[in-house]
Amino acid sequence: MLLESVEYARPDTVEQALTLLSQREGAAPLAGGQSLVNVLKHRVASVELLVDISRIDELRRIEARSDGGLEIGACVTYDELDGSDAVRASHPLLADVAGHIEDQQIRDRGTIGGNCCLSDPTNNLPPLLVALDATMNIRSRSGGVRQVAAEDFFHGYFSTAVGEGELLCSITVPPLPSPGGAGYSTVSLGADSKALARAAALVRGNGVIEDARVVLACFSAAPMRHHGMEAALRGAPATAEAVAAAAAGIGDGLDPPGDVHASTDYRRALAPVVARRAVCQAIGNGGDERG
Amino acid sequence: MVDAATTHAIEYTINGERQQATVPARRLLVHHIRDTLGMKGTHIGCDTGSCGACSVIVDGRLVKSCMMLAAQADGTAIETVEGLAPDGALTPLQQAFNEQHGLQCGYCTPGLLMAASFLLRRNPNPSEAEIRRAIRGNICRCTGYVNIVRSIEAAAGPAASERAA
Amino acid sequence: MTTTAPPQTETWKGQSIRRTEDRRLLQGQGEFTDDVWMHRQGYAHFVRSPLGHARIRSIDTSRAARLEGVYAILTGDEVREMCPTPFFQIAPEPGGRIAEYPLAVDKVRYHGDAVAVVLAETRELARDAAGLVDVDYEPLPAVVDTVAAADPEAPLLHEQVGSNVVWKGDFDWGDVDWALENADHVVKIDRLHFHRFSSTPLECNAAVVHWDPGTDTVKVQSNNQMPMFASMVIGPTLGVASNRLTFSSQDIGGAFGIKIGSYPQIAALALLSRKAGRPAKWTEYRTDHMLSAGHGNERVFLDTEVAVLKDGTILGFKTRAFDDAGAYLHYEPLGAVIWSQVCCGCYKLRHIHVDYTETVTNKCPTIPNRGYSRLQHLWFLERVVDVVARELGFDPVALRKQNYVQPSDYPYETPNGCVYDSGDLPRSLDMALELIDAPKWRERQRELGRGSGKRIGIGIGSTLDSGTNNFGQARIINPNLPFSGNGEAAFVKLDLYGEINVNLGTTPQGQGHETTAAQVVADVLGTSPDAVHVTAGFNQQQNTYVAFSGTYASQFAVTGLGAAQGAAERLRAEIAEVAAFALQAPIDEIEIRDGNCFVRDDPERAIPFIGVANLIYSNNAVLTPELRERISLNCRYVYTPPFQVPDPETKTGNLTLTYASQIHACVVELDEHTGEVKILDYAALDDCGTRINPQLVEGQVHGATALGIGAALYEAFEYDESGLLQQASFYDYHAITALDTPDIKVGDIESPSPFTPNGAKGMGEGGGAPLHAVCSAIQDALSPDDAIVSDSHNPWERVWRLMRSGEHGEPRGVTVASRSDAAGSDATA
Repeated sequence: MLLESVEYARPDTVEQALTLLSQREGAAPLAGGQSLVNVLKHRVASVELLVDISRIDELRRIEARSDGGLEIGACVTYDELDGSDAVRASHPLLADVAGHIEDQQIRDRGTIGGNCCLSDPTNNLPPLLVALDATMNIRSRSGGVRQVAAEDFFHGYFSTAVGEGELLCSITVPPLPSPGGAGYSTVSLGADSKALARAAALVRGNGVIEDARVVLACFSAAPMRHHGMEAALRGAPATAEAVAAAAAGIGDGLDPPGDVHASTDYRRALAPVVARRAVCQAIGNGGDERG
Repeated sequence: MVDAATTHAIEYTINGERQQATVPARRLLVHHIRDTLGMKGTHIGCDTGSCGACSVIVDGRLVKSCMMLAAQADGTAIETVEGLAPDGALTPLQQAFNEQHGLQCGYCTPGLLMAASFLLRRNPNPSEAEIRRAIRGNICRCTGYVNIVRSIEAAAGPAASERAA
Repeated sequence: MTTTAPPQTETWKGQSIRRTEDRRLLQGQGEFTDDVWMHRQGYAHFVRSPLGHARIRSIDTSRAARLEGVYAILTGDEVREMCPTPFFQIAPEPGGRIAEYPLAVDKVRYHGDAVAVVLAETRELARDAAGLVDVDYEPLPAVVDTVAAADPEAPLLHEQVGSNVVWKGDFDWGDVDWALENADHVVKIDRLHFHRFSSTPLECNAAVVHWDPGTDTVKVQSNNQMPMFASMVIGPTLGVASNRLTFSSQDIGGAFGIKIGSYPQIAALALLSRKAGRPAKWTEYRTDHMLSAGHGNERVFLDTEVAVLKDGTILGFKTRAFDDAGAYLHYEPLGAVIWSQVCCGCYKLRHIHVDYTETVTNKCPTIPNRGYSRLQHLWFLERVVDVVARELGFDPVALRKQNYVQPSDYPYETPNGCVYDSGDLPRSLDMALELIDAPKWRERQRELGRGSGKRIGIGIGSTLDSGTNNFGQARIINPNLPFSGNGEAAFVKLDLYGEINVNLGTTPQGQGHETTAAQVVADVLGTSPDAVHVTAGFNQQQNTYVAFSGTYASQFAVTGLGAAQGAAERLRAEIAEVAAFALQAPIDEIEIRDGNCFVRDDPERAIPFIGVANLIYSNNAVLTPELRERISLNCRYVYTPPFQVPDPETKTGNLTLTYASQIHACVVELDEHTGEVKILDYAALDDCGTRINPQLVEGQVHGATALGIGAALYEAFEYDESGLLQQASFYDYHAITALDTPDIKVGDIESPSPFTPNGAKGMGEGGGAPLHAVCSAIQDALSPDDAIVSDSHNPWERVWRLMRSGEHGEPRGVTVASRSDAAGSDATA
């Protein structure tokens, strides 16, 4: 509950933030703080300087792009995603997922950038952004913007493509395929709670699956695409049976962690279930049960 | 606050009253409210931002004051349970909690009142499902939430409008 | 003069009046322990063991002591020097040899064991300093399973005890061998496990302790819920006489039994305060609470054998029970006898044999948790009944009704001499099933075919909430303990201007004692509850206590309100005497209502309470010397239930005064693919005798139900092999939320207790009924060839495994032996 002694600064611009972050070795950006403040309370990691980026205007915008995609500032909160007309219009699933992250208080402060940069394998947004083929826009003090595919962004527990002195500034989400759709499925400890297994999917096609991205989370340190299942889906009819066939056995090749909430075996068994449900939701076919 | 420092001078309003303070950067907002301001209505029930007993409204948003530094409150407007009925009379929401037995030990109650206030501002006529979702972040160990949900239902929508009329 | 009292036939008792406590709590004006502040106070922070079992090689406090703002640091070695004696032990030899001090000495025995405590100027500094206390540990092998702990080869926690078995006893009533020999069927259940969890009150433990050097007294302001027990345990250890050690509390943010267990920390804080010469304020944080504040008891039942006749009559059972007390005995091993208050549960079982072993393990000490010791046993019995029904092909509803204690049986004496006071269990079950519309769900269950991915189950939980303990049962644990009976004190007075004031000996945590005591006192004094002021909270200096005082174990409606009623009746008699003198009328013609005393049939002759108070407090020369001497308008009363001392030899006696019942019915839906459990419908049928305030009773039923559902599906404390707690915060310990909790239907019947002053029965603990009902419903949803539900905690993975156990040919955990002449009966499996 009680943090170690720390310095705090609240820059007004991204440039100032980058200056602070690059000047000091123990500096870390503080966005919504809904994970980082806990980390600091429990003193499991040490930070010397907190650079509060939560009020920098340019990080707080949601822009509907002309191509039907979205450009989302890193400090947009879950609640803002949930309530955004632009997000609801182009990517309703993203709004729904954000609207079911934990609770109202966390949604009011937690940010999309923070959710990604903490890169906790149980976090809600990383697998969805990988499935949606989002691009992470990272800036450094030298002024350049480095674009990293979401798929390559998440390295592992609390480790991402953001380097020292860099800042994730925004996330570009391309338009959904047409025809096509996205899906998402979670098994969690309690409702809107810690995830035990999760999958997100993006499917292109109508009647027949032309292409699919299937991303699993909680099975490894970072969200992972399941290329085998994606290949099995390509060209398959968009039916619950075909999806189930493509998902069958995908857990066997996985080596997920086991913990007090879910053993390795159980997670393996959940992999095809969440993957199937996510894909079925993406193709608008609930299959044999709730999505 | 562009410059890094271990203490910061902050200014904010709390329940409409302007306040100035110098706070250590590491001090959580909840400890500032309780220990420095001596306002005891905002409670602490966990150390992971899970229980919601410390919920307050900052700039119109419901937040857990244990998940925010006091320094981050600079320039904001904070509302706490003490501000709900400053003149001592109970608000319709507080009355509903009394009538529906929406509290037992009362420790989670201030946080729940803030969560319910936030909900009713945003959605004056919520369904039971919407109420349950709105208080997902507030743990109560006494009531099983049954009478809390009833209290918020009673304070909301047509029932409340009728009473006010 | 006007009168506003209800007609004489109406009472405040029985009405759902609004709580008087609420106003302050709704406005953020409650006074919880962290709200207490003392001049010169320092903040305390405990240094806790990061290991499950280790020898303490050394503790170096020098780095911490150098930090500016640190007032004092205490370690176990220093504490041992300061304390004349370790904590008093309830256990007889050899468990009684355990030497526990306020801080760990020489060894740490569980993850979270306190090794040192720091006092500093601010909360943050105290924690900083605690982090600078260097402890050198030599890790030792740990034992975290109670059955394994009983093995003589297991790692030993307390060397002086000689083994980890701290208490062992044989409970043998009736003739179970005869029953098993004469049964048509013997159902054998390999292992049943009741898991560890806690009601985790939302306010953690807290205390402000001041060892005042000026008066040499120790003032404890805390949220401890059984302060006189705490006083009796820590007084001798601190070397402080009980008249120099005072406890008080106002608002307590939930307790559920867990806050009986804060006395070791309070003792450490007293010593810390003495050393620093300052008040020590301590507010436990959630992680510390989960690690060390106390968990509910974990129990394992091995090799259970149940004797059943072919008509479904259950004759009795035998089992081997192992109870896991954790690393030290806090209130334990009382749990080893408390369960026997309900040895046969709701059923007419006459032959019972329990071979009971209680061990220590490298886990957090247990402490009474809502339903203490009875819910483990009641869960066991409900599993037994469901398993018998399933294995022998009986309808679980009919089997229960057949074996329940029947309405005509009351007062019903159990095989161990307990007396069930009243009730109607079969009707309660019918009403609960009606509330969920059981036939509709049975139909739905049949309709759901394979391939739907879903299964539906209907479950029942039958429980008794035994209230008002006879502390004489402690002698069954240790015949040398000089404890018996029970009681509670109350103090009712007329104050200077005729106001009515009530002090209670209880430590309410949300049960509405201020409101219900005012209802009872108002009825006696013929006034409105609004005219009765009940002092909030507990204060030993008000002299309203006995050794049993506090709020625990479902007894306030009997003991607390019995005391309030007794004290109010005494006051009424005194008021009448003073009025009779003042009005020059015979005392039996004095009527009292609305704060006035009248002469019957002559209402013009009246004196208000203020006049009565005036005569006693400030105008006593007008009284007779006899009245002056005898009447004070300050009436203390101690309610004592009519108990005798139980017999330790046969382990029999009347162990509790009242038996409220709760019959729950539950419908679950299981997801075949994931094991997720969803509650589709839930009903609780409550019978706690006469209800003083029905709305408050209903609130208790709701709360007990949600905590039970939480425990059945979400909440557990588990340790890894080295003794590290895996759920040490609300991250991993998923306290049930509003989204996880179903709407709970509540029904009631009132079977007044013939044994209590007001017909009420203690209630609130609820007997863990949801654990039984949820397990029963999961069992009902499984296939006949699946294993039985053998654990009280059923998270998704466990349910998922159960649903696969049959097709994988896993052991079912149960076998049936039937007599050859029973083979032809319908009941054969």
